Amino acid sequence: MTEFDVMPGNKAVAYGVKLSRVEVVPIYPITPQTTIVEYIGEFIANGELEAEYIQAEGEHSAMGMAIGASLAGARAFTASSSQGVAYMHECIAQAPGYRTPIVMAVANRTLGWYWALGPDYSDIMPELNLGWIVLMAESNQECLDTVIQLYRVAEDPRVLLPAMMSLDGFYLSYSYEKVLIPDQEVVDEFLPPYVAKYPVDPTISDKWPAPGLPPALHTTYRRLFEEVLGDAKRVIKEVDEEFREIFGRGYGGLLEEYKCEGAEAVLVTMGSMTTAARRAVDRLRREGKRIGLVKLRALRPFPKEEFRRIAEEVNVIGVVDRMVLHGTGGGGVFADLKSALYSLEERPKLLNFVAGMGGDDISVEDFMAMGRKVHRVLETGRVEREVEFVEHPLPPSRGPVPMEKMPIYPSSGGCAGCGASIALRNILDVLGLNTVVINPPSCATVNYSAQVSVPWVLANYAAGPAYETGVFRAYRIKGKTGRIAVIGFSGDGGTVDIGLQALSGAAERGESMIWICYDNEAYMNTGVQRSGSTPLFSRTTSTPVGKLWRGKGQRRKNMVLIMAAHRIPYIATASIAYLPDLRRKVKRAAEITAAGRGLAYIHIQQPCPTGWYFPVDKTVEVARLAVETGAWPLLEIEEGRLRINFKPRKLKPIGEYLRLQGRFRHLTEEEIAEIQRVVEEDWRSWLELEKMGKLPWY
Amino acid sequence: MVLAKGEVSEVKGLMLRGGRSVGGRYVADWRTFRPVVDASKCRKCWLCVMYCPEGAIGRGEEGAVIDLRFCKGCGICANECPAGAIEMVREE
Repeated sequence: MTEFDVMPGNKAVAYGVKLSRVEVVPIYPITPQTTIVEYIGEFIANGELEAEYIQAEGEHSAMGMAIGASLAGARAFTASSSQGVAYMHECIAQAPGYRTPIVMAVANRTLGWYWALGPDYSDIMPELNLGWIVLMAESNQECLDTVIQLYRVAEDPRVLLPAMMSLDGFYLSYSYEKVLIPDQEVVDEFLPPYVAKYPVDPTISDKWPAPGLPPALHTTYRRLFEEVLGDAKRVIKEVDEEFREIFGRGYGGLLEEYKCEGAEAVLVTMGSMTTAARRAVDRLRREGKRIGLVKLRALRPFPKEEFRRIAEEVNVIGVVDRMVLHGTGGGGVFADLKSALYSLEERPKLLNFVAGMGGDDISVEDFMAMGRKVHRVLETGRVEREVEFVEHPLPPSRGPVPMEKMPIYPSSGGCAGCGASIALRNILDVLGLNTVVINPPSCATVNYSAQVSVPWVLANYAAGPAYETGVFRAYRIKGKTGRIAVIGFSGDGGTVDIGLQALSGAAERGESMIWICYDNEAYMNTGVQRSGSTPLFSRTTSTPVGKLWRGKGQRRKNMVLIMAAHRIPYIATASIAYLPDLRRKVKRAAEITAAGRGLAYIHIQQPCPTGWYFPVDKTVEVARLAVETGAWPLLEIEEGRLRINFKPRKLKPIGEYLRLQGRFRHLTEEEIAEIQRVVEEDWRSWLELEKMGKLPWY
Repeated sequence: MVLAKGEVSEVKGLMLRGGRSVGGRYVADWRTFRPVVDASKCRKCWLCVMYCPEGAIGRGEEGAVIDLRFCKGCGICANECPAGAIEMVREE
């Protein structure tokens, strides 16, 4: 019997991946996609799915890993959203040419521009015309089923292209619905293992997909790709039909018509908004309006022929777009549909409604209003306004409490007991009002960017130190060096993982600015995934503890030595429990950078009650224990001279620090002893380096 | 939505942050426990002022003064106070 469960869309996607027996899953966290890969991680940690699970240091790498794995003949899956998809873009563009049948889920979220977390299709919009198949899901069930269907489509020798499944962030990703979970044996029969025809594998094939073509062949191969995508339409329909026969559920192939019998006008919708539009069409039908609904499932390849057939039967089509092609005056699907219908002898009237941008809700009432407008055109035969933006007023909310100007105002939207807040308040208190904060996405963005009176620039994730460099150079050319403190304030992800390349560049070039890493030892903003700074054995949501896994299996990066390898003038670690020490270091960093001597780097450990699972009043206590046990040594390196700032006669046993935290609750005595050994080894190394007087690299 | 709204500018379509769009954030309704300062025990070391994640504690004549509009009740002040002058009391 088929099982069912009530689950969010992201879990349905994860089930689709598990049932498809995916072999390689490269991931990188971003809201609202992250829980997809967390659920997959749990399956693997518990032995329910046998797959390689790799948390990359950025999305660009995650897609690179997916392509590599697919080229080598494995079934690969990844997922992302918004900025993450944009950062993958270069690799996404490469995947079709290599004919890698990767399936990727995109939990939609608006891209760039003014940031928000809610969905619109601006994130998949730049990816639409690269040769990927792009299907959109309306329900959580469709998410699960579409993943399985897409592997069949993508791996079909007539297609052999990567495929994207788009599910609306929040509306599907986090909303719970009843989902039927197909039997593994039946799925196995529907979807046999992937066998690459020309894998990058010298034991199998002496040929492999070519990376380039001479210019003379480009036009030909572009035409061939269009033919393949045309064939893909037939394959998508076939696969959906076969799926319906076996599993009892189908989604209309490329598009689904709802109540279109006898309709003289139709609304075109896509994704989760369709459900509300169905209710609106039901009501409009009861009112006697001859209106139907077309749910667009395949954004690419675009179902041109199907729409032409529909266009012959109706007089008005209203397209509801969650995507604006800026500079064209309207939406993306509207443009596609218009171009698909233009060459018809008799064309229906077209209307475009741009709605739901940034996750703004499109209600049944909104669809009723759109339906009525479409119907009015049917009655009058006249289009008064071709494109309409469906707008809603901002709901009232409590504004900020007005106060006398200070660098950072009291309180925030952050968690109670947040250590980052303690760090930031003390840093800004030292640096004062003439400070500019450059901040790659992090908890601090969400919680503190709206609490400061000093300029706060949100940088793209991999480019924090690059944004900061630009600001610093602008000040320098304007003769303002030293008059404004320029600080990067970044989490560990933005420093040790995705931001490392830009930080290394800035350090090597000698940009005279401060980079501060507030290290909560995981990606907290997306819900506690491991980072390059997560300590050994720590439980995170991407290194879960299960039947097979024991938390993170690797030791953290040593950022002090990485920075020292750049020979920058000042490097320090600090703790929120030792504030006079932290404040002195910030001041020193400001002096050194004001003198134009180069990059100053401060790495602050910041215990996080939410992600480390300890009581909210223990933040400072945990931080102090980290220093007292040697887990987080306080030290500084000025012009190559290393000094340990806090040197207890004897380090406290590491257990005192670990036992306070839920992320280490699973540890055995042996594992605690292993951490103790690692900490002591590191501590001895620091003592030896201190004895050297000056580090050899300087 | 998590990101605060900003200030509309005279440049069409450009939203601004800063100015009057920022200020203290009222969070009193977040609290389960309320810190209560016993001024007679306070030694005015101001550790609580430095450690408060919310910047909600001020230096008063008599000792620490907590602006309860901005306090989430995390209890770090009570946990760190070397004089035991702050007690966490359950909110009614």
